[in-house]
Amino acid sequence: MSISTFFNSYAGMYVAQSFCHSLVAAVITERAVKAWKIDDPALQQRFHLIAVIFPIFSFPLYQAINANRSSAQFRLDALFDVNRWLNWELWGVVPLGLLFLVMLIATSLVFLFQETIPVVKHTLESGTAEHEGTPCAPEPFMEKASQALSLETPEVLVLDDDEPVLFSSTGRDPTIFISTGLREKLNEDQLHAALAHELAHIAQSKRPLLIAVFVLRAVMFFNLVVLVKFRRAISDEEKICDDIAVSLTGNAKALAGALEKFYHKPEALLETDGRKPPEVQIPLEEYSHNLHLESRITRLEHGATRARERGMGPFAITLLVIIVLNYFVV
Amino acid sequence: MRTMNRTADYFSFALAIGVLIVLLAIVNWVPMAFQKDTLRRYRSIEEVRIALNLRDIYVPSYFPQHIVWPPSEILAQGKPFPAVVMEFKDAGSGKIVLVLSQSQGGPFPARPVINLAGIKETVPFIMKGRKAVLVVGECAKNEPCSRITWKEGPYTVTALMKAAPFELTRITDSMLR
Repeated sequence: MSISTFFNSYAGMYVAQSFCHSLVAAVITERAVKAWKIDDPALQQRFHLIAVIFPIFSFPLYQAINANRSSAQFRLDALFDVNRWLNWELWGVVPLGLLFLVMLIATSLVFLFQETIPVVKHTLESGTAEHEGTPCAPEPFMEKASQALSLETPEVLVLDDDEPVLFSSTGRDPTIFISTGLREKLNEDQLHAALAHELAHIAQSKRPLLIAVFVLRAVMFFNLVVLVKFRRAISDEEKICDDIAVSLTGNAKALAGALEKFYHKPEALLETDGRKPPEVQIPLEEYSHNLHLESRITRLEHGATRARERGMGPFAITLLVIIVLNYFVV
Repeated sequence: MRTMNRTADYFSFALAIGVLIVLLAIVNWVPMAFQKDTLRRYRSIEEVRIALNLRDIYVPSYFPQHIVWPPSEILAQGKPFPAVVMEFKDAGSGKIVLVLSQSQGGPFPARPVINLAGIKETVPFIMKGRKAVLVVGECAKNEPCSRITWKEGPYTVTALMKAAPFELTRITDSMLR
């Protein structure tokens, strides 16, 4: 099967068009968030998820509306026909469709190694392994906060580790893990804020819609735009949990203080002996981690957690524009 | 003041969508501008011959009187595989009643203006020494429709018509030497 034959088949059209549809949706949602100055992370996440979910259904939906949509005539009059680019041969030899296929394969591998395998591994481990760590004495704050989120109070286990570590396992028996190193660094308010953030994650993981999104997202395993937008939606989730934590503790500054403990500082910068520190190359992953933390800390310090909702109007308009515009993207 | 801000937000979004539409149109135009053999419309068969350097374009020499010459639409491409589609209208109704296509690759995805749905018969036959397949059936409103497909050199040629097979075979016969 040649590359052009593949991209003219239904499977090929689905792959190519869903990519284009997600790209158009991503651009529109980014502009919508900026135009309507949407600061609420829950609403921002809703916008970002359009670019993740919509392309799963767009091609079959449009084909059901108009089977003629894949015809040569419709393509000629379309706003954008991806096949024109995919059939384009660089120097008359290499079709761009081949490069597009390489990108799809690379994205699929990233999805496999960075998302699927870790999730499967985590699920298997959490299903069989006993939780390590020392149980923490029950705290009245945890019971009160869990009640507020309609949760059963999860167990808190303390891990013997000097590094600042805090995470939670979800599922039937949710547990919060905190390292001794982090407990020592946090004051009481900060500890409550950090635990409230993890409680928020446990509460969020029980939302059926979010679980459905996680499962559906796998359909677009080949789609680079979906990969990026899904990660944006995940980072929105952190801010949503920050907001829930602040609503539980009423103390945004304490959460900001707790987050600062997770800031990755290059080793050389920590040695402050009066000399100018040498230039240190921060790994990209740490840089991105720090950047994300910084934005969350700034948000908390500026009290943006009480951002006003702009209602469903902008969301509905954005979705409608995406649906209409992408109909003419084939 | 708040209403003005809201209007400005909506205007800013509408402007962004306008810019996106223009950008998409430009990006769509680029391959057309740089690749002469990409799929496009042509005004005449001669134009297709010259632009795509296609020597063998199969056109009937016989046409029933009710079919309008020249074709109402001609689509052709050189890449990814050479293909030509011609649509012909009925003089009376103005509707497309005949579609001729030839393709060196897979089936050319022309719009299904003639939808041969209720197939009654599929008959292999010899047409001027070529193995052809005639499909007889009905289109919408029980109109008789027929289709003939055969191989002609590197091309697969298909003639689809809103008519009984007798009329279509006369047309396809006239396409061959």
